[in-house]
Amino acid sequence: MSEYHGCELLEDLFYDLDYVWVRPEEDGTLTIGITDPAQTMSGRLQKARIKKVGTHLEAGRHVATLESGKWAGGVPVPFAGEVMDRNEKLLEDPHLINIDPYNDAWIARVKPDDPAHALDNVSTGNVAIAALEEWIKRYGVQCMRCSE
Amino acid sequence: MEPIDQIMQHDHERLDQLLEQGAEAVSQGAWPEAAHLLETFRHGIVDGHMAVEESTLFPAFERQKGDEAQSLTALLRKGHQDLRIFFEEMAEAIQEQDAETFDDLLSTVQTILKQHDAKEENELYPILATALTDHGEAAGRRILDFEAEAES
Ligand SMILES: [Fe+2]
Ligand SMILES: [Fe+2]
Repeated sequence: MSEYHGCELLEDLFYDLDYVWVRPEEDGTLTIGITDPAQTMSGRLQKARIKKVGTHLEAGRHVATLESGKWAGGVPVPFAGEVMDRNEKLLEDPHLINIDPYNDAWIARVKPDDPAHALDNVSTGNVAIAALEEWIKRYGVQCMRCSE
Repeated sequence: MEPIDQIMQHDHERLDQLLEQGAEAVSQGAWPEAAHLLETFRHGIVDGHMAVEESTLFPAFERQKGDEAQSLTALLRKGHQDLRIFFEEMAEAIQEQDAETFDDLLSTVQTILKQHDAKEENELYPILATALTDHGEAAGRRILDFEAEAES
C-alpha cells in the first residue's frame, strides 16, 4: 500500500484513474468500488443507489449513483457486463464508503461480456499510483479517513 | 450584448426550466412530449452550454489563474462527464416509460446541476470578462445563437 496526501492507494488494484477501482475475483467477476481520494472528495455520503442484479451495462455507464450533502455523481464501469451482486449494506449505510472504501464498502460485482479485454481501460501498479497522485494533486485532495 | 457572466447564468436558468418541463411531461405520462423536451434540453446543455465552457471558458480561466484553477475545472469537467451519461440514462428511462427510474435520475441530476452551476456562477463566470481577450463576446454569441435556435 502507498500513501499520498493521506490517501491510501493499493498497488494490486486496477484503476480507471478517476474515481473507480476494479479487483478481479477468482470466479471471473470484477469487483468495483471508489478510491480513498474519491470518497474524500465526495464528502460524507448520504445516499447510494446501485443498479439491480441482472442489469446489463455498457462500458462507461453508471453502476451506482452516490450523493453527499455537497456532491453527487456516478460510478462508471470501465467495461461492459452484467451486475452479478451488489453491496446491499451500502443502500442502508452509504457512509461506509467513507470508512472502508477498498474492502467492506465494495459497490458491485460485474461479470464482463468480454473477459479478455475487460481490463483494457484500467491501469495498475506504479503507473496507476503515479497517475492517481497526479489526480490527488489536481483536485487538491487531502484524505482523512472516517473511523465511524 | 449582455456581459458573458449574465448570458451564462441566464442559460442555466433557461436549461433548468426546460428540464422542469420535461419532468412535468413525464409526471403526466406525456412520453413523446417528454422525449422531445429532454432532447431539446440535452442538445442545449451538451452541444451548446458545456461545449462553450469546455472549449473556451475553462481554458481561459486556467490561463488566467494558473495551477490553482485546476482543482475547480477538473471538478467541473468531471461533472459534465457524469451529466452526459445521466442524460442518456434519462432518455432511456423515457423511452421505456419508466417514471420511477426517471425520477431517481432527475433528483441526482438536479443536485449535480445546483452545485455545479453555483460553483461556476460564484468562482468562474465573474472573471471571464477579463480572462477572455474579446471579453467573452464570441462565447456569448454562440450561447445566444443556441437559445435562438431552441425558440424557433
Ligand atoms: Fe458547466
Ligand atoms: Fe454552466
